[in-house]
Amino acid sequence: MSAILLKRAACFCALLNCVAGQAAIVFDRFSAYHHIQVLDERGVRTLSFNGSMETRMSLANPRQGHFEYTEYFQMPWLWNHDIKRVLMAGLGGGSTQRAYQHYYTNVVVDTVELDPVVVSVARTYFGVIETPRHRIHTDDARVFLRRTTNTYDVILMDAYATTRYGSSLPPHLTTREFFTAVRERLTTNGVIAYNVIGRTAGWRANIVGALYRTMNDVFPRVYLFPAKESQNVVLLATVSAERFDAGRLQREAATLLRSGTVKLATFSARLTSFMNNPPPASAQSPVLTDDHAPIESLLAGEGPPR
Amino acid sequence: MLKVATAVFVFLGGFAVMVLEIIGARYLARDFGGSFYVWISQIGVILIALALGYAVGGALADRFRRAGFLAVPLGIAGVFTLFIPNFTPPLLEAIVMRHPPGEEIPALWQKLDPVLGSTLVFFLPCVVLATLCPYMIRLSTRHLERVGTISGLTYAASTVGSIAGVFVSGYIFIDHLTLPAIFRATGTLALFLAGLSLAMDRWLK
Repeated sequence: MSAILLKRAACFCALLNCVAGQAAIVFDRFSAYHHIQVLDERGVRTLSFNGSMETRMSLANPRQGHFEYTEYFQMPWLWNHDIKRVLMAGLGGGSTQRAYQHYYTNVVVDTVELDPVVVSVARTYFGVIETPRHRIHTDDARVFLRRTTNTYDVILMDAYATTRYGSSLPPHLTTREFFTAVRERLTTNGVIAYNVIGRTAGWRANIVGALYRTMNDVFPRVYLFPAKESQNVVLLATVSAERFDAGRLQREAATLLRSGTVKLATFSARLTSFMNNPPPASAQSPVLTDDHAPIESLLAGEGPPR
Repeated sequence: MLKVATAVFVFLGGFAVMVLEIIGARYLARDFGGSFYVWISQIGVILIALALGYAVGGALADRFRRAGFLAVPLGIAGVFTLFIPNFTPPLLEAIVMRHPPGEEIPALWQKLDPVLGSTLVFFLPCVVLATLCPYMIRLSTRHLERVGTISGLTYAASTVGSIAGVFVSGYIFIDHLTLPAIFRATGTLALFLAGLSLAMDRWLK
């Protein structure tokens, strides 16, 4: 009841702030991991961890307003037309979960989120619901993967730790041993898509290069989708060794759109980001391992130390 | 000479404790994940080890009154630390995998599993390393009226070592060394301290 009142108050504040041009703070709390804020401004709700934006959602239409990069989490369909089971690490405000629940009604999604406060915020403020088709597990992604008996057609990685100085990858989710555990839980036609904050060249290119090298050490094919509207690259790797090029991608997309399997209006437009060459930084990047994953210095842009 | 040796001795002991604590948290994340509770248990368990080590170290010093006695526990701690990368992975795996697969780990064990892990891997060497401080205070004190100065300086030297251990681990070791190499270096350091404790007895005579 109080949650509803709070929401109404929030909407009202949002209207007022439309005029004032200032964000209304709807939720503000420190969890064990982040300073979590939910902000409403001009009809858009934002989830912020330690001041950095995690999720955007239009209040009028929750399937709008999301970050462009989250749409690359639908690219695995190009490699697998029969996705039945998806694991997503990192909930945030649930943009991807909402998209999968809306567009792919036969797909069962498991979400793993470490922070229980993020789970309750997603439920209360971002309309993320748990159904037989969407279950949320409050756990670490690596611990979950190691203990689950399920296999997945697709594993989506968007688990970030944030600090005042920006977002940082949890080191234990970047290593060869981690990707080996991922591969063990993927089906024979399985796909992993991994969001990396950084560019293929320039800003944080070292971390993108290192992730590419490491994924390629475990998976035969790795592709990149650099986001156009933000500083993200979604790395996509397949269990299958079959090599896809841009032409093949166009043909697969045409089939998917024709059959109605994929309905995302911007799906074709997103294909233009596709890259199937290694990023330049990967040549001198280390393969990250449990024994040696110097994520902090790679993020700081000092270049690979070894 | 002996004063310098004592300061170096407790400095390196303090250094080793914090290397084990900081690097240990990264090491435990493989099995227990990036959970907040990994840090909570790592800090808590190391502090328990320090408390025990201080109490035991002081009592031992009153009884044995020679630095060379420390060579035994330091030798054990050194060998233990050297082999952390070899014998601990199956133990840590057993802690996580004892829960039925596919079911969520009960909330209590999500908190306490990392405590078990920290204890198994880091408790013993940290208890031993914590004995150095009170032990050396007893050995260095010749006159009761100087015990305040001596205990203050000894704790300061040990804590400066710990501070160095934190920053060197976080800024240098993590970037340039593998985790097994860091454990082996720390184990070797403990063995060096064992040798140093024997040498200090010779200098005392």
